[in-house]
Amino acid sequence: MSIEIEKLRYVYSPKTPFEKVALNDVTFTIEDGDFFGIIGHTGSGKSTLVSHLNALTRVMSGKITVDGVDITPKKIDFKALRSKVGMVFQYPEYQLFADTVEKDVEFGCKNIGIADAECKERVKEAIELVGLDYEQVKDRSPFELSGGQKRRVALAGVLAMRPKVLVLDEPTAGLDPKGKREIMNLVRDIRKSCPTTVMISHNMDEVAEYCNKIAVMSDGKLYGVFTPNELFGKGELLKSLGLSVPKVTSIANRLADCGFDIDRGIVRADELVKAIENAVGGKGAEKCAT
Amino acid sequence: MRDVSFGQYYPVPSPIHRLDPRTKLLSVIIYIVTLFFINTFTGFGIAALFLLIIILISKVPLGKVLKSVKAVLFLLIFTFLFTFLFVKGEPDKLIWEWGIIHLYWDRLFVSAKLCIRLLLLVLGPALLTLTTTPMELTDGVESLLKPLALIKVPVHSLAIIMSIALRLIPTLMEETDKIINAQKARCADFDSGNIFKRAKAMLPVLIPLFVSSFRRADDLADAMDSRCYRGAKGRTRMRVLKFRFSDFVMLFFMAVLLTAMLFLKYNWFNWAFIAVLV
Repeated sequence: MSIEIEKLRYVYSPKTPFEKVALNDVTFTIEDGDFFGIIGHTGSGKSTLVSHLNALTRVMSGKITVDGVDITPKKIDFKALRSKVGMVFQYPEYQLFADTVEKDVEFGCKNIGIADAECKERVKEAIELVGLDYEQVKDRSPFELSGGQKRRVALAGVLAMRPKVLVLDEPTAGLDPKGKREIMNLVRDIRKSCPTTVMISHNMDEVAEYCNKIAVMSDGKLYGVFTPNELFGKGELLKSLGLSVPKVTSIANRLADCGFDIDRGIVRADELVKAIENAVGGKGAEKCAT
Repeated sequence: MRDVSFGQYYPVPSPIHRLDPRTKLLSVIIYIVTLFFINTFTGFGIAALFLLIIILISKVPLGKVLKSVKAVLFLLIFTFLFTFLFVKGEPDKLIWEWGIIHLYWDRLFVSAKLCIRLLLLVLGPALLTLTTTPMELTDGVESLLKPLALIKVPVHSLAIIMSIALRLIPTLMEETDKIINAQKARCADFDSGNIFKRAKAMLPVLIPLFVSSFRRADDLADAMDSRCYRGAKGRTRMRVLKFRFSDFVMLFFMAVLLTAMLFLKYNWFNWAFIAVLV
């Protein structure tokens, strides 16, 4: 399922002293099967942009087409759209409210009018998909779970609607490195059933490792859509936008600075290892040895 | 959720914004007291004109100030209808009567005056909060109530409670917005069904909001503790309030307004021109 965004513009509090242009002439397309990353500084318009995708923020000017349906008109089928585009907000665990995990996860599913029996099935599937034991957690209160488990439950609540596109706003914010890795692996597993994923992130390592396309936002404008190798090869551009490169890329850059024959756009650890193996024994090795 | 216009600070540079918050608080109190002395259309006219001039000086758009009336619009309409329709006036002023509904000319004027008074009562404080930041306001309140500390009223604690409450209003609004969006993303429906259904639909918003409020309160208490907060004793202020010339000018005009209105009402010296005005 693809999402096309054309000339999107959004202004907060227009015609007041608080007026602020949040999005300015943003145009790009998310294609079926993309793992689409969106990076940019705080306040660059990333969150405003993604909240347009399921019509939580309505289009002010421009046009958005989701799965061939124009969502610009005032009256659209919100339930159909929002079950198609599953949105997981930052710190989704703060949206939990029900007295048991099962009731919380089935909330969205019930809201779109799925029959009870099928809902139960979907809930079980969603809870297992996020790596929790259904029998063990279904009757527990979501408030007594650990932080990481809560986040999984919240994620399951969105997955139970069986979305075709998953939109994640900083899914790993506030987690420890192990929790981050677990959530990201989870997202990768989820892509088997929901292949198109959009992710906002501040973590360049994650974006580089998982995304196949990356949009760069700055001051409400889209800087461009790149592949990870293209983007992180442009260290200077990123620096001028106040963004960094992934750790792997910075190692590659340091080695290239030393004279090794290594591509500056390398983003994955295994590629880097291969590149180093190729380079060692070449001319660079002697240079850097001293 | 963001349409709460009453009390939202409107940041423009103006002489009214620069006034000492204590001046503005006192002025609003004098203004309210004055309104209760007024009972003629002339008097209300003068008060309204006075308010209008202040609004123009404050550079806050008139529409923004008038928007705060929206909150009490129903109250105004009900007050008008009830005091006009259901109360009997002078027998010779009767217009029309049917069952418990009576229309009298004199009641019409009484009701109209009541509504104008309510309207002006709302606009004054609204202008205060539009031109004064919550922080300034609490500083002003604390400073004005300081004498009460002598009779063991915990003025400082009250002021800090007020400033924390005011400070958290926008934060909680934002939080509410976020939670509403998160539940909307799960297809929650807040806008259809009867009133009970709608109230029930708010539960998925209220529960997370309560949970996060308690979490926030805990965090804030910890943060204050770890900075060794221990109340008013020995605390100095970053912004020291100071009366300036313009403050005295403002208070002078308020005093003039109050005196003028008292004369208009009581006419102690039986001046002829006042009798004409009334």
